[in-house]
Formats: sequence, structure tokens, C-alpha cells
Amino acid sequence: MTRTEDLVKRLPNDIGGLEAERIQQTDHELEPWEKRCHALADVLDFHKIINTEEKRRGVESLGAEMVGKLTYYERWIVTFANILFQKAILTPDELAEKMEEVAARHSKSSTQ
Amino acid sequence: MPTHDDDHGHAMATAQDDSPPGYYEIMETAVRELLVERTLIGPGEIRRQIEVLDSRTPALGAKVVGRARVDPDFRKRLLANGRTACEEEFGISFYDDTELIVLENTEKVHNLIVCTLCSCYPRPVLGLPPDWYKAKAYRARAVKEPRAVLTEFGTIIPDDVEIRVSDSTAAVRFLVLPRRPEGTENFSEEQLASLVTRDAMIGVVPVQIPTRSLS
Amino acid sequence: MSKTSRGASKPSIHAVKPFGEQPSFKAGDSIKISIRYPVGHYRVPHYIRGKRGVVEAVIERAFVNNEEEGFGHNAGSLGYYYRVAIPLTELWPGYAGSSKDGLRIEVFETWLERN
Repeated sequence: MTRTEDLVKRLPNDIGGLEAERIQQTDHELEPWEKRCHALADVLDFHKIINTEEKRRGVESLGAEMVGKLTYYERWIVTFANILFQKAILTPDELAEKMEEVAARHSKSSTQ
Repeated sequence: MPTHDDDHGHAMATAQDDSPPGYYEIMETAVRELLVERTLIGPGEIRRQIEVLDSRTPALGAKVVGRARVDPDFRKRLLANGRTACEEEFGISFYDDTELIVLENTEKVHNLIVCTLCSCYPRPVLGLPPDWYKAKAYRARAVKEPRAVLTEFGTIIPDDVEIRVSDSTAAVRFLVLPRRPEGTENFSEEQLASLVTRDAMIGVVPVQIPTRSLS
Repeated sequence: MSKTSRGASKPSIHAVKPFGEQPSFKAGDSIKISIRYPVGHYRVPHYIRGKRGVVEAVIERAFVNNEEEGFGHNAGSLGYYYRVAIPLTELWPGYAGSSKDGLRIEVFETWLERN
């Protein structure tokens, strides 16, 4: 029987030495938003708004399912949102409203 | 000094296609704009950092290796302190405030780098890592069966050569100084640099002289 | 500032260093990675815990403990990381490669014990 404490003790990213398949030598050119996301991480770290280690911890905190299913930069941006909420820099509603506004821009412009 | 950003900083992508932004892109845009509105980050900072990132490619690392091959004093300084040597010789800034240890491959030792916990990589001097470096298979297996991993890249290391796998977990980053291939005795520094690939500086392949096809 | 006359013994300097300013380990020291299971964030992977190795080098410059940095601790007390060498045969029972093959990994002082 699996003890649940193993879920707490071992982080989802702590995979050194675990069984894994052949290496798929894939790569992809970053989408513009992904590159902006990477730049955002660097800028947040410079200002120590979210330092790089906080980002790592935040990604771990997403939990195994999200870590497994979200792509690399998807994990980052969700992590930034979470940490900004925790630090009371943004509220969830503020972000949600802004996201609605951003989404509406595209649908507005596409109907012109 | 804020630059004159287009559209208050939000039309930043060179939108080559009209497909609607996905959920995460919308999130990224919203977070960025809110932070700029709150003056927590400046409007030109992201754009500038993208320029920084675009300027950091494997060509930088290759240049470092090329110089090390022809300048023994630089090589010595590079092996003593990778960050300082790169900063002083080439003005390569370490914007992520990491240190750099350069690992020299010899006939007795072959070095390989990995980050099992995440994706630590010598970005200031190599640019962004390939997807496979960040994925589970490489991270899980490089520390456990490096020889099998190297074989998958087509690299066979003899048994009498020691393999050292460096797992980056803290603020130090690694760059492999790969062995100089035979037959390059008369190559110029630029020619030597042009042979050095990203994967050779990760340590998964050697530096090779490209074979010319005889037509 | 004290001046000494020729022949007089120099006053000794007694400047006590705070915790963390002096590395506790040095190259060549035999160490063991601690075994403990912090809740949440850590930077010492499971596969090296309890394993024995040798300090190859003190990483020069002292740093904030990154496990605390992960919770926003950006400055303050610093400590040292050590580049530790651990043979792959120590890490993996039945390791099939050369017995000379080894891991190099940076470990913060708080996770090292003398072996």
C-alpha cells in the first residue's frame, strides 16, 4: 500500500534516478509569449519580486498532475500568478478581469 | 528611461498569425500589463530582456571554447573561474547572478551536465536549453546511466575514461570544454569555434569535423 | 589604529566571524549527505541522501541558503555550498558503468555531515 507521506516527502520534480524512457531529442522554437514569459521571470528575479528559487518552489507547489500536464512556460505563468496573489501584489479578481480584457481585445479586433 | 513602447506595452508579439491567444498567453499578457501599470516593472524591461536572451546563443559558448584553444592564459583563467573569465574577456554578463565552472574533457575524463530537479543551464553563455534537456528522460537517467544516455546521442565513451556527471542544484552553472578534435592543428580560432556545438558543451556529443560529402 | 614600534609584538586581531562566514568543510573532507525529509521545497535530491562522498571544492562566494530563498529570503545570513564527488557505485547498486564514474553536485552546508 502506498503511504501518502511519500507524496509529501518527494517533490514531483525530484526525478533523478527514476525509471524513464528513451530520450526524445526534441526542441521547439519558443512562441513569442513563452519568450516574454522567460523574460518576465528574469525581470521578476532582478527586482526580487519573485526570485528564481521562489519560482522553482512555486512550480513544485502546483503538484504532480499540473507539473506533468502543463508545459514548461505554462507552469511558470500559473506559478507567477499564484505567488503574486500570495504576496498581495495582485488579487485573483484583478488578474481575472485583466485576462477578460486582454481576451476581448483579440475578439474585438478580429471582428473589424 | 521608459522606451516608447507600442500600444502601452501590450502589442508586443510580432503577430505573424491571427490565431487567438490561448489561456496562458492571455495570463502572461495580463500579468505583465498589471505589473507595468503598478510600476513594479518598467514598460521597456521585458522587451530589453528579450534582447538579452536573443543575444545569448551557443555561438557565445563556442567563442569561449575557441579562445581557450588558442590562448593558454585564457584557458587557465577560464578553468579557474568561468564567470570572471567570460566577463573580462568577452563582456559576457551573468545576468542571472550564477557562477560558472568550466569542465574540461580530457583523454581520461568526460564531463556531462544535467539538472535533475529542474532545468538549470548556463544560459548567460549558451542561451536557452533544448526541450530534451528539460524533460524527464534525460534528467532522470543522466545521473544513473550516463553511458547509456551518451550512447543514445551516438557517443561511446571507453570504459577506461571516467565519466563525471554534474547535477546543477544551486547557483553554479557548468559548461563543458570539449576535446579538440584531431586534424585541427592548423585551424584558426574562428574555425575552431565554428566546430563547437551546443550539445558538445552540454557534454552529450564530442566536437566533430563535419564530413564533406564527395559528390 | 594602533602603531607598533620596531621590536614590539603586533597586537593580535580578534575579529570573530559570524556563522557562515567561514566554510565548515574543505576540499578533501569525507562527508555524508544528511537524511531528512523537509516538507515542501528542498534542493537536495532523494537519490543522494545518506550517501557518502568527498568534498571536491568549496564554492567561492557564500550564498543565501536556496531552500530558504525559495520562501523569499533574499539576503541575510550566508553559507557555503560544496562541490561534492560521489561515485556512481555508491549511488546505484549494481551500477554497470566504470567504477570510476562519479557524480558532482553542489550541496549546502546544512546538508553535510562529517563521515
